[in-house]
Amino acid sequence: MVFLTILFKSLIIGGLVGFGVGAGAARMFHAPKVQGMGAFRTLGELNACAGDAVSHFSFGLGFFFNAWASAVGAGAFTQDVDHRIIPNWAAAFLIGRGKRVEDTLHNPKKMAIVGAVIGAIVVAFLNSTASAIPESMQAIAVKVLVPAANLLINPVMPVIFWLAALDAGKRSGMWGTIFGGLAHLIMGNAVPGVVLGILIGKGVDDGGWNRVTKTLLISVIILFVLSGFFRGFDMNFLTSIHVDVPTGLKDLHNLISGGGK
Amino acid sequence: MESQVNLKGFWYADWSFPIFVAFLSAGIFAGTHMYYVHHIGAFNDVAIVAMLQAGIEGGGYGAAAAFGASFLFARVLEGSLVGILDIGGSLQTGLGIGVPALMLGAGFVTPISNFPLSLLTGAVLGLLVGYAVIGLKKFTVGKANSTFGSDVMMGAGNQSGRFLGPLIVLSACGASIPIGLGSIIGAAIFYVWKKPVAGGAILGAMILGAIFPITLE
Repeated sequence: MVFLTILFKSLIIGGLVGFGVGAGAARMFHAPKVQGMGAFRTLGELNACAGDAVSHFSFGLGFFFNAWASAVGAGAFTQDVDHRIIPNWAAAFLIGRGKRVEDTLHNPKKMAIVGAVIGAIVVAFLNSTASAIPESMQAIAVKVLVPAANLLINPVMPVIFWLAALDAGKRSGMWGTIFGGLAHLIMGNAVPGVVLGILIGKGVDDGGWNRVTKTLLISVIILFVLSGFFRGFDMNFLTSIHVDVPTGLKDLHNLISGGGK
Repeated sequence: MESQVNLKGFWYADWSFPIFVAFLSAGIFAGTHMYYVHHIGAFNDVAIVAMLQAGIEGGGYGAAAAFGASFLFARVLEGSLVGILDIGGSLQTGLGIGVPALMLGAGFVTPISNFPLSLLTGAVLGLLVGYAVIGLKKFTVGKANSTFGSDVMMGAGNQSGRFLGPLIVLSACGASIPIGLGSIIGAAIFYVWKKPVAGGAILGAMILGAIFPITLE
């Protein structure tokens, strides 16, 4: 019964995702005149396969095995189902009968319809096989994967992003360091802060302090202030510098979020 | 056969863009529902799903929420500027991980635990993202000529993905000796085959782990 529920849900999810991915990928070929969605690397890879059905199919297949291992092991599809498998397999199917890319891969209507069918099949396959794997096997994968993923999230990714920010120029390095450090203090992970720092630094590098970059900086500051408040950072900070938390501030926290941590 | 592409028609127009985003987002958000209920089917990489898992296990949703929300923010802005919305950062990580983490963190569980509601929530969020992109495009077009360092972030993202393979081998070696050996052999074989090392390390660990099971304590 659970199996049928999963299968039923997977077909719906896969169909919806495939429809969006297919149309978005085809629209990418008409960007920036038409707003597309996908990724630059997806666009590059689709171009690299040069409208050859076999290349498209085998490129998707390589990532399919990786996605399968990850789905069975940890319940995570990897981003490649949307980025690589569905668009490439849809392209392979459409081109298969020797058609030009302009009439197939670049056509949102055809890509959406074929994408929906392929998405439904791929998602149903991944989910039903993943749920059929014995729990003990999944447990091993989780036991191996979770510590590795935890290490990746902290400290590997923060360090890589931070170093990338430092290498990307003075402004990115400075804003990345400030927001990265603050993000680690407030949110427990530096990556979001470093990312926002790069965003601001590179934005100013390329366009100066215009309306977009100013809006960006202000929104980032608001984001930090709000998340700091909701995580009780202000109260923890006061406590750690041996200042009594004013009752008014405590009351405000209790009023809004039911007390800080 | 269409000879002339009609850029005003449904399949190419700006006004239909939010509808396509809504389809994709509904599926991705429901994928997170699948992960929450059945523990399978999240549309994201292991490392990012693990952040959500940390929250589900009671470790706090802050990292997942902040990570997802900042990616969503950055990608919506970038998408409107460059004409391609990056679905990995905006939808898969932003709407699929960040928003659910925010909701779960606030005790708002029903949109994620209920399947039809998760589809609906995803679709509505997708429409919002789609309209934000189209709206920003009209607002910013020609005003900002920058990719906002997305190349830097993509480079760092790909770089961190490379770390996962060796890290999996290391943690497999910590699990037990046979599992460690399995993941080493799997990783080596996948490397020679020019496949991602992480996949081989997981498969090798699982095969040897099936033969020599470990207790889950």
